[in-house]
Amino acid sequence: MTKSNTGMVDPQESAAKELKTYALGFAASVLLTGVAFAAAISDLPAVWKVGIICLAALLQIVAHLRNFLHLSFSGGQSREDLLLVLFSVTLLAIMAGGTWYIMADLGGRMHEKGMMPHEASP
Amino acid sequence: MSASTSPIVGKLDWTVTPYTDLLHQVNSSTIVGAGAASVLVLGAVAGGAVLTWMRWWGPLYRNWLTSADAKKIGIMYIALALVMLARGIIEGFVMRAHQATALGTLTEPESGLVAPDHFAQLFSTHGTIMIFFVAMPLLIGLINFVLPQQLGARDMAFPVLNQVSLGLTAAGAGLVMISLLIGKFGTGGWTMYPPYTGIQYSPGEGVDYWLWAILISGMGSTLTGMNFAVTIFKSRAPGMNFMRMPLFCWTSLCVAIMLIYAMPALTVSSAMLALDRYAGFHFFTNEAGGNMMNYANIFWMFGHPEVYILILPAFGVFSEISSTFSGKKLYGYTSLVIASMSIAVISFTVWLHHFFTMGQSAGVNIAFGIATMIIGIPTGVKIYDWMATLWRGRVRITAPIVYLTGFFLLFVIGGLSGIILANPSIDYQVHNSTFLVAHFHNVIIPGVLYGMLAGIHYWFPKAFGFRLDERWGRRTALLFVGGFVFTFMPLYVLGLMGMPRRSPTFQNPDFLPWMYVASFGAVLMLGALASLVWTFWTSYRNRAALAVPGGDPWNGATLEWSTPAPVPKWTFARIPEVKARDDWGETKRAGDPWKAPEGYDDIEMPADTPHGLLIAGAAFALGFAMVWHIWWLAALGFLAIPALLAWRGMKVIEPRIIPAAEVEEADRRFRATVASLAPATRADEESERNRGRPDLAEFAG
Amino acid sequence: MSDNSLYPGLNLGETHSAAHDQAETTVFGFWVFVMSDLIIFGILFACYASYLDPVGLAGGPGPADLFDITSVAIQTALLLLGGVAYGGVSLVVKYEHGHRRLIAWLLVCAALGAGFLFFEVRDFIEQAGKGGVPQASGWLSSYWTLVGLHGIHVFSGIVWIMAMVAQIAVRGIDDVVKVRLSMLGVFWHFLDLIWVAIFSFVFLVPLS
Repeated sequence: MTKSNTGMVDPQESAAKELKTYALGFAASVLLTGVAFAAAISDLPAVWKVGIICLAALLQIVAHLRNFLHLSFSGGQSREDLLLVLFSVTLLAIMAGGTWYIMADLGGRMHEKGMMPHEASP
Repeated sequence: MSASTSPIVGKLDWTVTPYTDLLHQVNSSTIVGAGAASVLVLGAVAGGAVLTWMRWWGPLYRNWLTSADAKKIGIMYIALALVMLARGIIEGFVMRAHQATALGTLTEPESGLVAPDHFAQLFSTHGTIMIFFVAMPLLIGLINFVLPQQLGARDMAFPVLNQVSLGLTAAGAGLVMISLLIGKFGTGGWTMYPPYTGIQYSPGEGVDYWLWAILISGMGSTLTGMNFAVTIFKSRAPGMNFMRMPLFCWTSLCVAIMLIYAMPALTVSSAMLALDRYAGFHFFTNEAGGNMMNYANIFWMFGHPEVYILILPAFGVFSEISSTFSGKKLYGYTSLVIASMSIAVISFTVWLHHFFTMGQSAGVNIAFGIATMIIGIPTGVKIYDWMATLWRGRVRITAPIVYLTGFFLLFVIGGLSGIILANPSIDYQVHNSTFLVAHFHNVIIPGVLYGMLAGIHYWFPKAFGFRLDERWGRRTALLFVGGFVFTFMPLYVLGLMGMPRRSPTFQNPDFLPWMYVASFGAVLMLGALASLVWTFWTSYRNRAALAVPGGDPWNGATLEWSTPAPVPKWTFARIPEVKARDDWGETKRAGDPWKAPEGYDDIEMPADTPHGLLIAGAAFALGFAMVWHIWWLAALGFLAIPALLAWRGMKVIEPRIIPAAEVEEADRRFRATVASLAPATRADEESERNRGRPDLAEFAG
Repeated sequence: MSDNSLYPGLNLGETHSAAHDQAETTVFGFWVFVMSDLIIFGILFACYASYLDPVGLAGGPGPADLFDITSVAIQTALLLLGGVAYGGVSLVVKYEHGHRRLIAWLLVCAALGAGFLFFEVRDFIEQAGKGGVPQASGWLSSYWTLVGLHGIHVFSGIVWIMAMVAQIAVRGIDDVVKVRLSMLGVFWHFLDLIWVAIFSFVFLVPLS
């Protein structure tokens, strides 16, 4: 983790530590990307595939926020930024989730199951 | 409008003005259209002439247009809003006059003052202007003026960005204004629902005017929201922790949050509609997998928080004035804070109630209906808090208090009709009727308009150094209250009688008496507008008698009353150390509030820059060019914006330094002035004896 | 300001307390802007999902007809590398390794971004050739808008990088430039985040 630069630490040591943070983040994102792509081209049932892809995406986003964007609960500005992100994600979840809820419901009522689009068009 | 597109002037030609229509056919509708265009042209010419005659172009440019001072930007926002308000009210009057004469017969269904298409343009521009170019600039302007002063900050966190926001808003307003003269505005109402507003059914430039005005000004509002939020989080005076902030700052924070998170939805829905119209996409079309219901969904995802963007600053103003003019501490500060924040968050969960009847299943409607009823609770809490603040206070019936009283009486009715509409099964009966029109005017006029006018009245002396005439202020307020009651109460009745909103004509003669009452109300509204203008004018003429150099005409408790009136550009000679909520009031209680600070420092102020003006120009050119398909100009305007940003980025910009000696001299002069003034008692508040130095013995806030 | 509230990843020197305050304010403001942008992307994601049904596809080409998973993988690799390369920028700024290394890292980021754009545009052209133009269906409209908007962001990021290179060349690495590099970093990493969501939900989930 990048701690704030207080000038107290040895710059070389802290540089090496930071480099490690980036390396870790990179390794995690390579791994998680690999898992997602592997799942997509595998023969698993579709539900499993989607589950794995979603989980990998979520973890990768967390890794990016933590290792590249230096967000953490540790206090100071990184904490403030993290709270901002979490608040934004909450509102986004309401908006995107609500859209999905409303549009799926409308879709279900408009178009009976099994109806093909060419039958719907005049 | 010709069918072909010229590479030089796009779709523009000499037939796009309303004068062509007038030459083509002389009737009341074309006369009204040409008259409105003429007012615009004559107004612009007269304004230019006055500026030239008085040699004001230079001062206007140097002192205002290039200023990055949040206070001046705020005043410019409000000036813009008042100009647009005049147009909006006049349009409302024309609509009322039209409907009063619109009783059609079966043989001759079309009647009334204006043609149906013209009527549709009227209600579309009226709504667009009142929401985006009156209410928004009013509240953004007021927050810009007041927020830094209340927080003990010198300026917004990003002064130049603030200037850019104002420029973008003004560019959007300019597009709506110029649609009076060049071409037509859209006819799809202020929400511009597709598929009607798609290219297939609305081919001309009208919807495009709306789209570009909204996209450009919406960008400005988003940036403003960021600016407010960062200012509140990062630029508070030392000691000003969150629970010491005046309530107006809290509601500003709520507004900022909602602007940041709600405006993107409007940007998305408008951009999608623009893609449909310009590039043949199929987001909201009838065919090829488009889904117009998604537009309503995304639009109201913005639209509902927008309602609270409009109302919350007014709640902030009412909190300030109920406390100041009753000489009491604000009752239930914490509950007001919690209520405001709850409203800000819950407002993101109710948007579906704007389209209960679109066809989703009952379960969805119920979920959003319940959320809608819940949001009424914090609002109710607030009303009780303000009443409790006034309770047993020594209330002075100043113009802001008249507005507050009108707000109490009318807003509660509006809120109750909202709770009625929150019930989906009732909504099915009255949706799309004038009942709805009455409802939202019933919350927006007493809420936003009264609140903002009360705020303008309250803080006006801080901006210009003299009070507004109280008698005329009260007359204006009463006219706005009466005008509202007569105009909109009949619309509730008409809605229940079954009259659809936005009707250019109707066949039921029973509607007529109510129409006449509503028209009488519209006349009162026009009178209120005239009275408002007269209030400003008569106060300006009497400015010597109304001057308040002491800076604290109402015996206030918050920081902004500690500075001279008009407030200097640096606001505070020294950034205050805040020790309590209502810090200025605490200082008053402690004894000598006008004690000079121990020392003065150089003050850094943002340097003046034409950056915002240039970006506004580029954005206006972009919008206008896109509306008329003048592609070369659109490309130029579009590229000019990043070019301007990059150009500014290359320069090292030094702030303007105001030397400590200059600050000290001005501050000492102010303190000497205050010392020379006789304290004014509460009874003297409206008389000439009120020079802005209140009698501290009477302070009880 | 207490020491531990200094902006992470920034080094403005020991004596610049006011500069730190300003940096903190500016970068925080940029975070807020990015969050507003996030909402735009979020709504477009929700739209993409709601148009991804037989009605939204409207009989036009679908995910299986259009998406090339190899190309998506290449784009992902380029963009992720570009994101990590920005770590180089941040570290060079923080530990003051000089102009040349800084500009070199920035150019690496820009080059990787440009490589990403090359493959993305190639895909778009190929898809259009197969009839997958945005005018074909509601779903394709939302696909082009969402992925195209991300592409435009990457393009703006490259333009911004170039503007920063010009600024470093002209005015050197002053505090203002450092703050801007910090904001650019937030923006550049944010584009990675959006891309993670795009390759997962736009490409991989519909193909599953």
